[in-house]
Amino acid sequence: MTNAKTRGETIELHGDIWKHIQPGEVVLDAQGITKRYPGGVLANDHIDFKVKAGEIHAILGENGAGKTTLMSILFGLLQPDEGEIYIRGLKVRFRSPEDAIKMGIGMVHQHRKLIPAHSVLENILLGHPRSKGVMKLKEAEEEVAALAKRYGFEIDIRAKVWQLTEGEKQVVEIVKALYRGAKILILDEPTSALTPLETDRLLESIESMTQDALGVVPFITHKLPVVLAISDEVTILRRGRVVDRLKTAEATEQILAQKMVGRPVIFDLQKQPVEPGEPVIQVENLSARNNKGVMALNQVSFTVREGEILGIAGVAGNGQHELAEALFGLRPIEGGRILFLRRDITRASVQERWKLGMGYTPSERTEVGSIPDFSLIENVAMNYYFDARFNHRGLLDYGGLRRLTEQIIDEFDVATPGPDVNIRTLSGGNLQKVILGRVLSRHPKLVIANLPAQGLDVGATEFVQRQLLAAREQKAAVILISEDLDEILSLSDWIAPMYEGEMVDIIPAAEAKKEVIGAMIAGVHQQERES
Amino acid sequence: MLTFLIRSLEAAMIFTFAGLGELVDQRAGILNVGLEGIMLFGATLGFIAAKTTGNYLLGFLVGIGIGALLGLLHGFFSITLGVDQVVSGMGIWIFGFGMTTYIGNPYTGPLGLDQIPAIFGVSPFVYLAVIMVVLVWFVLSKTGLGLKIRSVGERPGVAAVSGVSVTRIRYMSVIFGGMMSGFAGAVYALYYNPVWNYNFLMGWGFISLALVFFSMWNSYLLFGGAVLFGLLWQLALNPQMFFPGLASRYIWRMVPFMMTILVLTLISSKWFRSRWGATKPEALGLPYHKE
Repeated sequence: MTNAKTRGETIELHGDIWKHIQPGEVVLDAQGITKRYPGGVLANDHIDFKVKAGEIHAILGENGAGKTTLMSILFGLLQPDEGEIYIRGLKVRFRSPEDAIKMGIGMVHQHRKLIPAHSVLENILLGHPRSKGVMKLKEAEEEVAALAKRYGFEIDIRAKVWQLTEGEKQVVEIVKALYRGAKILILDEPTSALTPLETDRLLESIESMTQDALGVVPFITHKLPVVLAISDEVTILRRGRVVDRLKTAEATEQILAQKMVGRPVIFDLQKQPVEPGEPVIQVENLSARNNKGVMALNQVSFTVREGEILGIAGVAGNGQHELAEALFGLRPIEGGRILFLRRDITRASVQERWKLGMGYTPSERTEVGSIPDFSLIENVAMNYYFDARFNHRGLLDYGGLRRLTEQIIDEFDVATPGPDVNIRTLSGGNLQKVILGRVLSRHPKLVIANLPAQGLDVGATEFVQRQLLAAREQKAAVILISEDLDEILSLSDWIAPMYEGEMVDIIPAAEAKKEVIGAMIAGVHQQERES
Repeated sequence: MLTFLIRSLEAAMIFTFAGLGELVDQRAGILNVGLEGIMLFGATLGFIAAKTTGNYLLGFLVGIGIGALLGLLHGFFSITLGVDQVVSGMGIWIFGFGMTTYIGNPYTGPLGLDQIPAIFGVSPFVYLAVIMVVLVWFVLSKTGLGLKIRSVGERPGVAAVSGVSVTRIRYMSVIFGGMMSGFAGAVYALYYNPVWNYNFLMGWGFISLALVFFSMWNSYLLFGGAVLFGLLWQLALNPQMFFPGLASRYIWRMVPFMMTILVLTLISSKWFRSRWGATKPEALGLPYHKE
């Protein structure tokens, strides 16, 4: 029997298994899922949960709670050491994602699994049985369009994926999974890259999927309000175990956070009033191009004074990243002027900017923010090697750097065996603490924090945010770039929403409303102005 | 004049065969700079097989076979072992150059078989080359296999979660590339220039490699480029025919390479990329490891 033949049969089998499905019936039953990593870490410790047809069952947990491992097991990327998975009562074993897909599991990855150079349709067809032999592009296009329409998704099927926004890419992934026949949809951090408007639209689409008796399983780390808005039931994981399971109707944000973290979490950061001082940075008509050579930052002007946080709100790809890099001299500018402490630094080198008292924490923590195979000491040295305190005529004072690193580990509560281990071994939150610590320990006059809390769990996020507030209290100016509106609203003194490379407005935080800013970063204002 | 054009076309078809193989290879993310070595092997072993048995078909089959084996070898190094693809390819070239010189030396001299007859005045391989160009375009852009090949060359990780076996597709592509190069070598030694002597290939494999970059990974552009390079090459053999006294043949022989450098400079310029988008397979030359 040929390989292709066996495959054909499994697809038919999967068709059979999903016949006559009743809403409310258990479609996915995971029992006692256990996964042990080398070194004895129990990533999943006897996890049980059930998903019903037409139900949205959220899995909530911090980073390191075992969510990724569980997701990988459900999608066949990892095999459990113990435990069983039943699909409609049939015991299954997934050796690869292909097995899981054939049994009706669909996965929407947080880090998009799409090919930018290919069209939307080609991405959807990749791996689909319809693409056997000569692809039936016409039929496929009609089917995909019909499917998208059914759930209220708007996608341009012929566009290339690199032209799409993050939200559109996610839609492509969802449609791809559904087109392959997914009956149970796993969503990894479904709203983390979306604007409030896109989030609402996604929630509506998910709602209509449940009416078709699909089971939906969102995995969520940070956005607790989403959990409350979206799900019927929540399973909360902590340290690889199920700590609780509750009906969403009975839950509040406080309860969820407490169960997830294991201690009460204060959502109110208690921002101290700080009297703003002299202007630290003045930016006039700054413009820059993105990596594709397209103008991504258009004539942006603003001022940040001592003791102020300017929150730059926006969806990824609207020029915030280019702004951060242009401010720090990492990206050539096309026009405009930057004054730092009333001094023109438009042409200054990156090192001069460090020496003058600017500090930058990059969003790409493992590519730009750190060198994974260097020790903590060496990584700290990257922000200090030019500093006369540690550089004596070209000779680095490693003793001094070690003491400094130990001090940062201590003050910033970094969980590490010591300063000599490779920074690769640190978790995301601890890595960010080191990156932030080495900048803040310089007592900079300006901190540019690019997505400082993105991807961090509730505990680490709270820590990072407190540190930025502490820097503000010490009269530093802070430029905070974030895609999380709640974070922007709770930390900033001024809020600048960005859309397509322009600052739509600069609003005092006291007068800012979440809905208004949400509309601004979605370009609604822009359209109104144009029409 | 007509002979000149026909000879140019015949050179172009050889560039096309080798270039198409390499194009598919590169679309799947594997760079094989050892084309010259595979062509040398295909030419030499094909030549010996045909000369000793008097059978053309056997000669071509041997050329294709050894090409497949060397493609497999490159695949083993670059896919299974994940070594640097440039190093592996250069190894194949150096190995091919030394080995074929040693093996082929006793067979120095003409093939001594009747020339393969032309169809309507043109070599049958020219027609085959055109068919292959259309076929490769069709497979790459219209079939599921082609989609898999392109996906594996862009983002192997994405292809893998979509249920595509990256290893299998890459092996298939690299073996196909080897077969085409081996065949191109055999066509060279059994048809275009049926005489074996030291360093008879003179860099045709490298021209074919350059052609793939020149083509921006599009098989029609590759064919156009092959015709252009064929004309230039023919001109380089006999520049006196058109431009008496203007530069030596060695200068003319560099022209295809210089043009390739120009094209490469153009397509990697900011202007070009912002206007036409990046065309190079994203994962070209990068080994894929499962997470």
